Amino acid sequence: MKKNRLTIRKSIGLLLLLLGLALLLIWTAVPIYIVISNSFRKTLEMKLMPPKMLFQPIFSHYQKLLSLDRFGIYFRNSAIISISTTAFTIILGSMAAYGLKICTSSIGRRISNVLLLGKMVPSITILIPLFMMMNRVHLTGTYLAPILTLSCLSLPFVTWLMTGFIADIPNELIEAASIEGCSRVSIFAKIIFPLLRPAVASAVILVMQSSWNELMFSLQLTNLKTYPLTVGIARYVGAVSVDWGKCSAAATITMAPIIIIGFFMQKYLVSGMTAGAVKG
Amino acid sequence: MKQKTFEWSLERGDLLPLLMMLPTLLVIIFIMVVPLAYGIFLSFFTLGFGGKTTVDSFVGLANYSQFFNDPVALKVTLNTMLFSFGAIAGDLLLGTLISLLLINLKSFTSSIIRPIVTMPLLVSPVVVGLIWRYIYDPKGILYWFLGKFGIGIQQFPGVTSASTALLSTIIAHWWQVTPFVIIVLTAGLLSIPVEYYEASKIDGAGPWRTFFQITLPQLTSVYVVILLVSGVDTIKIFDIIYSLTGGGPNNSSLSLSIYAYSQAFEQSNLSYSIAISVLTMILTFCIFGIPFIRHNLGKGNR
Repeated sequence: MKKNRLTIRKSIGLLLLLLGLALLLIWTAVPIYIVISNSFRKTLEMKLMPPKMLFQPIFSHYQKLLSLDRFGIYFRNSAIISISTTAFTIILGSMAAYGLKICTSSIGRRISNVLLLGKMVPSITILIPLFMMMNRVHLTGTYLAPILTLSCLSLPFVTWLMTGFIADIPNELIEAASIEGCSRVSIFAKIIFPLLRPAVASAVILVMQSSWNELMFSLQLTNLKTYPLTVGIARYVGAVSVDWGKCSAAATITMAPIIIIGFFMQKYLVSGMTAGAVKG
Repeated sequence: MKQKTFEWSLERGDLLPLLMMLPTLLVIIFIMVVPLAYGIFLSFFTLGFGGKTTVDSFVGLANYSQFFNDPVALKVTLNTMLFSFGAIAGDLLLGTLISLLLINLKSFTSSIIRPIVTMPLLVSPVVVGLIWRYIYDPKGILYWFLGKFGIGIQQFPGVTSASTALLSTIIAHWWQVTPFVIIVLTAGLLSIPVEYYEASKIDGAGPWRTFFQITLPQLTSVYVVILLVSGVDTIKIFDIIYSLTGGGPNNSSLSLSIYAYSQAFEQSNLSYSIAISVLTMILTFCIFGIPFIRHNLGKGNR
């Protein structure tokens, strides 16, 4: 009898688990699925409820987007800005982290923590004065303006992440290399930096993600020539009637690259995000 | 911990560490520190869009007192705090539930489900706002689904009514940020030694007791980190609301960042906008900054 009760309890548990998983997948995936599938639907078919699972895909929304609304250019701008920002932050951040390591004082660890205080500063607080400064030196509308700004937003975190990784590198390794006659700069380039690969991978996906997706600074620091995708989309939002076909296509173009990269770099995404919280 | 003599290498004429740090420090100084100081300075002046300051335009604290006499500003502050509270509470609750749901999955199933669950985190917030704007469409999928349970636009007006617009933006935020909580909590859960659970099993503790007596206390510091990181982000919320409701209807979902932004770039009240943004920073600092410093710097000393 008791055994019977146990199996019933177990199967109820399994049922609840499956139900939970189904709800979770619906909650997460349906909003994304709807947008992607709508970008291939005729505008009239979007209004049909429930949405048809099988339909004849069309590409006219994308054609309009690329030919009339310059989304090809926005895509290129987003790529230029986010790739440069990522490279720039990783090089600078790992250099700074190494500098913190070789400066033989306890200030080292502290500076990287102080840098994190930058997170407390809301973007809006620096946006307006920064915009005025950038305007005065004629940097608004260049790629350099968003690249520098987005780098500044990511640098504290990247430096801090790298500092943690460098601290884990055994001192013996560095000592051995310096006995071999390596200068400290070449120790960094030849030994430390290659060992930082997992941290670099985490930084790549996290910085790429945040700079590709950034909106507020880009709205003001770029112009028609350097608009990234997020600004391109934000321009639709203000419109009185939204063209959902074009919007869905634009949203798909904007989110697809990062979702794909994130899918393949899942492991590093997770390790980058948890580095701070769990390892401490 | 108490090292009175800092062996700052610079004293020994060693410039290399400083040179390595210099580029990072320069970027942070020129893009963050200088604008911040400049902004605080400007907040004591009135300035037009040209941004010229003269001695005559010095107004002292007038921009700040304007804030406290502006009913919209006070409403917006309340909105922002409500958003922050609702968003964090939901993130933590949903995140905890989902991480517990996923933690016992076999590695094969979880290797399929986890990347899917993480997806919303990678979507640009401006796109998240757009996606949810489509979902909240009165003729859209949400109301089709709710209609099956007899809930229509009258029962839950979504983004169309001042009473539920803020809640609607909070829900969109849950959708995006819960995965972050799941990722971090899962790592935390996995770091709890198995022996604890075995011991509690031997003591005959049920799942509830195990959760409240072992899991939760072990995760305290993880929760603190999540609270600080996502807490700060919710006070500065801009993108999701900007594209989902634009702050409406009737300012009911307007946040401090969007209000400051529109004061600067739509109303051309630059100095007032800067004052709002400085107050936003002070608010962030008071709520999250002080615990953040105690948490982080405490660690650096260890």
